[in-house]
Amino acid sequence: MLEPKKHYDVLVIGGGIAGQETALNLANLGYKIALVEKDYSIGGKMILLSKVFPTLDCAACITTPKVSETARHPNIDVFTYSQVEDIFKQERGFRFTLRQKPRYVTEDCTGCQLCEQVCPVVVEDEYQYGLIGRKAIFIPHSIANPRIAAIDIEHCTLCGLCENVCPPKSIDFTQQERVDEIYATAVVLATGYKLFDPTIIKRYGYGKYKNVVTAMQMERQLVPTRPFNNILRPSDGKVPDNIAYVLCTGSRDVTLGNPICSQVCCMYSTKQAQLLMGALPMADVTLYYINIRAFGKGFCEFYQQARSMGVGYVKGKVGRIFEKEDGNLILRYEDIETGEVAEAEHDLVVLSIGILPNKDYQNLFKNVRVEHDPYNYVRQVDELTSPARTSVDGVFVAGTASGPMDIPDTILSAGAASSETASYLRKVYKEIQPSLS
Amino acid sequence: MNRTVDIIKKQRKATEAAKEKLKEFNRMKKAITNALREGPATIPQIAGKINEPTDKVLYYLMTMYKFGMVEVDSIDDMDEYYLYRLKKQENKQ
Ligand SMILES: Cc1cc2nc3c(=O)[nH]c(=O)nc-3n(C[C@H](O)[C@H](O)[C@H](O)COP(=O)(O)OP(=O)(O)OC[C@H]3O[C@@H](n4cnc5c(N)ncnc54)[C@H](O)[C@@H]3O)c2cc1C
Ligand code: SF4
Ligand code: SF4
Repeated sequence: MLEPKKHYDVLVIGGGIAGQETALNLANLGYKIALVEKDYSIGGKMILLSKVFPTLDCAACITTPKVSETARHPNIDVFTYSQVEDIFKQERGFRFTLRQKPRYVTEDCTGCQLCEQVCPVVVEDEYQYGLIGRKAIFIPHSIANPRIAAIDIEHCTLCGLCENVCPPKSIDFTQQERVDEIYATAVVLATGYKLFDPTIIKRYGYGKYKNVVTAMQMERQLVPTRPFNNILRPSDGKVPDNIAYVLCTGSRDVTLGNPICSQVCCMYSTKQAQLLMGALPMADVTLYYINIRAFGKGFCEFYQQARSMGVGYVKGKVGRIFEKEDGNLILRYEDIETGEVAEAEHDLVVLSIGILPNKDYQNLFKNVRVEHDPYNYVRQVDELTSPARTSVDGVFVAGTASGPMDIPDTILSAGAASSETASYLRKVYKEIQPSLS
Repeated sequence: MNRTVDIIKKQRKATEAAKEKLKEFNRMKKAITNALREGPATIPQIAGKINEPTDKVLYYLMTMYKFGMVEVDSIDDMDEYYLYRLKKQENKQ
């Protein structure tokens, strides 16, 4: 475990693309950063994506250099599998508790995966969204940084086989959590978003019908290190040839408490449809949508490209999904153009699940309140001229912590957060020691 | 050899969940391996032989695939289902 410094210029909470970009910009200006990530590795959701719209660049190829730059930067201390608690605003800056949790594997781990081979326990792999299993000791995913194994102690039988085989002797069951009290002059919230849980919409049968999957599960199937040997449907391993997408699942729906558009589902579905047509040339792909929102740079052309490739777009609101005995699915939908109810059969259905606020930030601060907007994202108090400012002086927001957005907008938002944080730091340090700045 | 696992074992016991997962994987691995000893098979064929649901067979078979215990043999005539076989070293056992 890393021994933290007593004081940092900036505490960045969240190691997704927003947190990394903010940390790197500030670190390059010479500021000392503590980047705290609750997961076993940094990278957020982006590192798990296949390709990115609208350029179809490989997500891993863009994000891994950034991840390694963050991990190696001399001005950034990265704390993974860690959490921030009890932040107190002080006259100048913030005091907080940093809790580093034990992963029972030390930094000596070389990532050789011998332990995975011998470990006898199989648990659902959260990084493959449950499509396959992982071992009780595991490297989070193929491009995880740090590439250090971790033991899921709740599912470990304490057999010791991993410890017997580990060449650098990096398994350490005596590892304890480490708690430190630290100070930072400013805080950046880059805690990202949560995915909509589609089990809430019982009519779609997610969880019950095995061939109804989420778009995140499809992202994983489209990555070269996919869970299966090819793109397969989860009920029986058949190569799908007639795939449907249900857009706006969990978005723009007052009854679900999320009335807003998730901004990315139309485009990521359009992206996945194109990738599927490339991977499975015989497959038909149909998107059921309410409206297509293709507002960003190059998005409209990207959508047109999908249409010209033969992706079907049906303006229809899916009401219910039924499962047939052979695992195929019947979609009952309202054809918005004609107003009539129609049915269509598909052998795999992908739910284009929406983006929800991660409310973690609401419990982090003890003596001040970071206000939220009407949808529970961090409120931007001056969205037009100072988009990273929050209701607390010295606390800034970056990326999807402030609302749904795609990767290009997340990078822009992180740029704003880093420059606003930097000018705040200059102001504060000038007050303390005018001659220095 | 001094093992740290012997120290933690004095403080905590394996959870029931861990024991369950271990048992289930062992059982499925054995059943799938036995089924594949008879020759390459698709997921529905394996499921039929061992009397388990196809989705469960897929989950464990693909986990075994990830850890190098099985490999792809071919695809059926309809290009619908892959046939899987045991990897060489498993075959010899
Ligand atoms: C299926 C799908 C496909 C997509 N495809 C594309 C695409 O092709 N192109 C595109 O531009 N966008 C795409 N997106 C959107 C993209 O995922 C987001 O724009 C981007 O990941 C936002 O980055 P972020 O850093 O703001 O959030 P996140 O990626 O959510 O990162 C937040 C990080 O903070 C950590 N964290 C959260 N809470 C805490 C806490 N309390 N303490 C410490 N750490 C914490 C999380 O573990 C995570 O690592 C897609 C989204 C989905 C769902
Ligand atoms: S001690 Fe735990 S993690 Fe290690 S091999 Fe045994 S079950 Fe797996
Ligand atoms: S814990 Fe040991 S055996 Fe496992 S990946 Fe790391 S170095 Fe290899």
